[in-house]
Amino acid sequence: MTLKLENVQVSIQAAPILRGVSLDVGAGERMGLIGRNGAGKTTVMRTITGLAKMAAGTVKWDGEDISNMQPRLRARLGFGYMPEDRRLVPDLTVEENMLLPAWANDEIDGRKGLEFVYDLMPELANMAPRKALLLSGGQQKMAALGRALIAGRKLLLLDEPFEGVAPALARRISDVITSLKGEGLSVLIAQSELSHSSDLLQRECVIERGEIIRVNVIDPVLAGKA
Amino acid sequence: MRSKLFLGATAAFAVLAAGSVILPDWAMFLCAMALAKGLVCLGIVGMMRGGVVSFGQGLYYCIGAYTATLVANSFGVSDIFLLTLLSALACLLVGMAFGPLLSSYRGIFFAMLSLALSMVLYGSLSKMSVIGGTDGLNIAAPTFLGWAPEGRPLQTALYIYVVAIVVIAGTLMRIYFDSEQGLITLATRDNELRVEYLGASVRNIMTYNYVFGAVLGGIGGTIAALALGHVDPEFAFWTTSGEFVFVAILAGYLSVPAVFVAAIILELVRSFSNLYFPNTWQLALGIFLLVVIVLLPNGLGSLVGRRKGNAA
Repeated sequence: MTLKLENVQVSIQAAPILRGVSLDVGAGERMGLIGRNGAGKTTVMRTITGLAKMAAGTVKWDGEDISNMQPRLRARLGFGYMPEDRRLVPDLTVEENMLLPAWANDEIDGRKGLEFVYDLMPELANMAPRKALLLSGGQQKMAALGRALIAGRKLLLLDEPFEGVAPALARRISDVITSLKGEGLSVLIAQSELSHSSDLLQRECVIERGEIIRVNVIDPVLAGKA
Repeated sequence: MRSKLFLGATAAFAVLAAGSVILPDWAMFLCAMALAKGLVCLGIVGMMRGGVVSFGQGLYYCIGAYTATLVANSFGVSDIFLLTLLSALACLLVGMAFGPLLSSYRGIFFAMLSLALSMVLYGSLSKMSVIGGTDGLNIAAPTFLGWAPEGRPLQTALYIYVVAIVVIAGTLMRIYFDSEQGLITLATRDNELRVEYLGASVRNIMTYNYVFGAVLGGIGGTIAALALGHVDPEFAFWTTSGEFVFVAILAGYLSVPAVFVAAIILELVRSFSNLYFPNTWQLALGIFLLVVIVLLPNGLGSLVGRRKGNAA
């Protein structure tokens, strides 16, 4: 299943944020969206999830135009989104936070999803009964990644997953994403720099002032094909 | 977890029902009215958990009270169970009609629109002399499955009935609050967008909560009408709705029993300040509310919530 953005333009209060962004993420591909703060990375993510309104352009999923589809219906396509600010519900436990997508969507088997996440990140099983408000920033990132993994059965959108976490935890998150290689999951990771993800991405799109200025092939296998 | 809840509900019923033996008439009436109003407030708390507050719950309080009165006066129905059921049904239908409209609004717009609806009802009832106009209507004492008590036994039966309804409604709402749908409501309060991108419809959640609030409001109104023996358009007036919001804020959104405790406290403070400071009782009530809000910004329920949070 392929995600395709074609000439996407987004403005916020008349200020153009995305100026004709086009990119595609192939089935099972791990793509990076690299750019400085304010370049438009988060807006690209929000456009894919349907949270940002487009002024022009199309978003296609598996060939189908989903530009006008509501966010909750896009979530049902198997999109998992981890926003930069994590957005866990402070009054709910870690496990309840991760189960939210399953409660919102009957097609997701919450139990199975939890097993999958706990296999990948056993540390989350230990934090399961703790309220989200009692977690550190890094632990919240892990829990938010777990929630996105339960929701994202087809496409995983990670906004700054390594931002503001200790180097050891950043490596751990990077390992978790790398271990998804065999799952056939498409992954789009937005970040300011490549330091934590150079070995887990296959391609990177460099975004600047709302425009994709370059696409680099990182994975040696893909590079060989190119 | 569920068995603990049922145990708690049974204990609450036993303690509250014991009041029918201990309490004098005036206190039993006061508690019955407070608990009936607490039901309305519980509906507001359900909405508060989703991040909106209705300033117009008087609408359903009034619809419930008038439905019971009109059915009783027009068709000679006096059975309290049937009257409660019919009023709840009427409020369910009205709630289902207005719910989808109101669920598109948030914050002050939701509050003002709900208030506007109740004031439209208030204005309409005040002008309709055929159903009493501003004087309202009287309603005869209810019967209980054919049993027609009078005097103290009537008051006791009515009190026990309110207690039973409160315990059942409170238990069901607690189950709902702790259910998947209820926890998604809590997530909505925190951030609506997150709930949308996780796949849930915030509008549907808001509609459900509004309809539950409508039904609870109708039941509360029916019981209040039967306890008072009289209904008038003041049931839908904005001050009545404001009182419900006061109780909901006093209780907070964390605990169901706190809603009824807050309702009883408010009734007691009002009654005693009215008795001892007849000319300045509103001042005493205002100071009391101010102190509670300053000391417990998340309401009385946060006393219990805080303990649970620390334990987690």
